[in-house]
Amino acid sequence: MAVSNKKYNVIDLETGKLDSRIFSDPDIYQEELEKIFGRAWLMIGHDSLVPEVNDFFHTYMGEDPVILTKDDKGKIHAFLNMCRHRGNRIVRADIGNAKNFMCSYHGWTYSNEGDLEYVPGEEEAYYGALDRKSFHLVEARVETYAGIVFATWDPGAPSLDEYLGDARWGLDVFFNRLDSGTEVVGPVKWIEPINWKTAVDNCSDNYHVPTTHLSAIIVQGRHFGLPRTTHEQQFESPNKHLFINGHSLTLRFLERADQARQTHGVTQENRALFEEYYRETLPEAERRLGSLRAGKLQLGNHSLFPNGVLGFRLAHPRGPLETEFWHFVVLEKGMPDEIKRALRIGNGNFNGVAGIFEQDDMDNWRGVTRSSLTPLARKYSHDLSMGLGRAGSDPDFPGTVAERYTSENNQRNFYRRWEEFMNAEDWADIPIEPVTADFEGTATLNG
Amino acid sequence: MTAQTFEDGVSQIELWHELMQFYINEAWLLDDRKFREWLDLFTDDVFYFMPRRLNVGRHDLDREVSEVGDLALVEDDKTYMTMRVDRLDTGMAWSEDPPSRTRHIVGNLVIEPLPGGDLKSKTAFILYRSHHETDENIFAGSREDHLRNEDGRWRIYKRVVVLDSNVILAKNLSVFF
Repeated sequence: MAVSNKKYNVIDLETGKLDSRIFSDPDIYQEELEKIFGRAWLMIGHDSLVPEVNDFFHTYMGEDPVILTKDDKGKIHAFLNMCRHRGNRIVRADIGNAKNFMCSYHGWTYSNEGDLEYVPGEEEAYYGALDRKSFHLVEARVETYAGIVFATWDPGAPSLDEYLGDARWGLDVFFNRLDSGTEVVGPVKWIEPINWKTAVDNCSDNYHVPTTHLSAIIVQGRHFGLPRTTHEQQFESPNKHLFINGHSLTLRFLERADQARQTHGVTQENRALFEEYYRETLPEAERRLGSLRAGKLQLGNHSLFPNGVLGFRLAHPRGPLETEFWHFVVLEKGMPDEIKRALRIGNGNFNGVAGIFEQDDMDNWRGVTRSSLTPLARKYSHDLSMGLGRAGSDPDFPGTVAERYTSENNQRNFYRRWEEFMNAEDWADIPIEPVTADFEGTATLNG
Repeated sequence: MTAQTFEDGVSQIELWHELMQFYINEAWLLDDRKFREWLDLFTDDVFYFMPRRLNVGRHDLDREVSEVGDLALVEDDKTYMTMRVDRLDTGMAWSEDPPSRTRHIVGNLVIEPLPGGDLKSKTAFILYRSHHETDENIFAGSREDHLRNEDGRWRIYKRVVVLDSNVILAKNLSVFF
């Protein structure tokens, strides 16, 4: 599409200037619901949330409530939680097990495969004239990646494999390491006073860590013997900051294959336990991912376009100024209980609504969001110029790689991706990068 | 409350009064931001747990409160609790600087004596929090404590805080319950 036809031109890739109206304008927000959340593959759940047939898990795609069901044949579906009669919600619980969903308004009853199975008074009140088959629940396309359930409303969307593209090369390092796969615990849910994009943008922001999270860094050093994250470290780090096919990834180098990954829950005290675990699982991981991805890299902070945040965590939009955040923790199924416990508690106490790291993010992101509310403040664009012209291709990594681990290259590209969705008439206008990475090993999209 | 006595001869009314004073004191410590003194109300082996509160149908009420092993809002031992308090003194704990203004209202105390002289208590609370210029939250819930007598003082060795909220309508939980 020619530049002159662009409706949205919010990020200037030459200067890094960002138009802050995208954080608070109600019309832009409504268009996002349609053109981004109505089109993209969205993370909505995980296999382990519906372990039994007929289980359901209530989730969201954008602001639209969605029932994720596992039917009695084990197939996963995603339905708009809306009765086709008068639009009432048919499921009101977070979780449950049910073969049928009855609307509490007039009793229209659907199977967990979405068929409208029963209508009171079908012969008498409707005189047999109701075409029951045409009232199937509105159903999204569903695909899974290593147990994570994705869905899209758009029949024109590419496959999930294409949508993730080379980003999966990096995601596999964490999500697709072992044959037995992953499970999730959670979610902790809360309402953040922020625009959803600020939480996603922040996933690539290695710059904020030594400032925003300094108090948590200091006390985890004091009590857990962990080294202090400093600006110098972040600037000089050889770690990688990559933008791949719309998604933002950071990858950290391991010093040894059995190194305890840098994640919440690892302490000086339990480090050896993690090392033993990574040592024992290395051959399996190497078979699945090859030696580079199994033993030399760790997946750091990352986000999946549009609203998947760091791991399997979701930023559901709730109007331009609010976001419902869902905090899950992903665990490898085969982990010893002691490791699962340490990761659950560490990730639970450091992130989440009460997390000593994450609680310090909220007022910053709110400040970013609300900086666009007045005509005066809106005159001053946000500056995302860090590392301009300092990113390109890398022989060893897919995507666009920043020269430094601390860069705003991913954020600039995130807003460029946002423009691509917002300016597109349909999926034919949205570029998808070809898969070029060498997916060494046996791991596939499906585990 | 009847004038029953426990095995050691302490009347239930006296004990109720003593424990109610304990909780009133705790509330003032929190609202007066004396967090070090508050920490000292807990034993060194304390387990402090705030599970998730799910929104489930009546036939699934056994799944309403998440269990240990699932992800919780808070799952602290004394080290984590101390980190939360230590953090505030670094001068860089932005979620509490400027600090929240809180009011803890605690009541509905019931006590159940446990074998060996320990106590189990249950209280209901309302926690009002005001922050920055106009942020306001009201949290309601219950607390179930296990207490033991250490050096002549009651100390809490297990606390389970169950909020009445499903989706938390607050930017964060940077205050103590």
